[in-house]
Amino acid sequence: MYNNVVSGVFNSFVKKDISCMRFNFRGTGNSSGKHTSGEGELSDVKACINHLTRSLRFDRVFLCGYSYGAAIGCSTINYSEKIIGYCAISFPWDFMGLKYKELSQSKKPKLFIQGNRDNLAIYENFENYYNFYLEPKQYRIINGADHFYVGFEQEVAEEAYKFYRSIIV
Amino acid sequence: MHSVEKLFILNNEIKLEAEVLQIKKETSSCVALMCHPHPQFFRV
Repeated sequence: MYNNVVSGVFNSFVKKDISCMRFNFRGTGNSSGKHTSGEGELSDVKACINHLTRSLRFDRVFLCGYSYGAAIGCSTINYSEKIIGYCAISFPWDFMGLKYKELSQSKKPKLFIQGNRDNLAIYENFENYYNFYLEPKQYRIINGADHFYVGFEQEVAEEAYKFYRSIIV
Repeated sequence: MHSVEKLFILNNEIKLEAEVLQIKKETSSCVALMCHPHPQFFRV
């Protein structure tokens, strides 16, 4: 369940008394099953959204994903009207292909966080991918950060929090 | 300070390990869902 980027955002939200959930995809950590080509993982996110909206009866869901979790998580943006927007941290368009770019398209609010030293979610390609998305959208460049954000976790968490606050009012 | 609950969410036959902080609905009806990276992809 530990990753420095996700834990940074999650713990920041917990400290601010914001309801939040994190989970491991199938085949990861103590989750059962095996990795699939993405379809299974998309259904994992949807199962979590269903749990939050149907079992726990939340009215709105804000998505936040990092790397692979950004591609898969943000691709469920149009799954439910209760999803209000997303924060994608280092969306790996270069690795994940066009499918997830298309699936993550939405007229809902979107924030993209990108390190300017990221050579996995390649910084030089960021603007081209970003331009594909419809408004409303924002981006934040984390200067000095590569794909792993070591030492930048708090800055990422603060950007995610500010965006969350801006869209729930 | 609220406590984080550990649970498993069932997705058909798959059990997903999760942690949730649920603030009382009187103060919030919105929840943030956070998606981890996949170690098989990026070793993170």
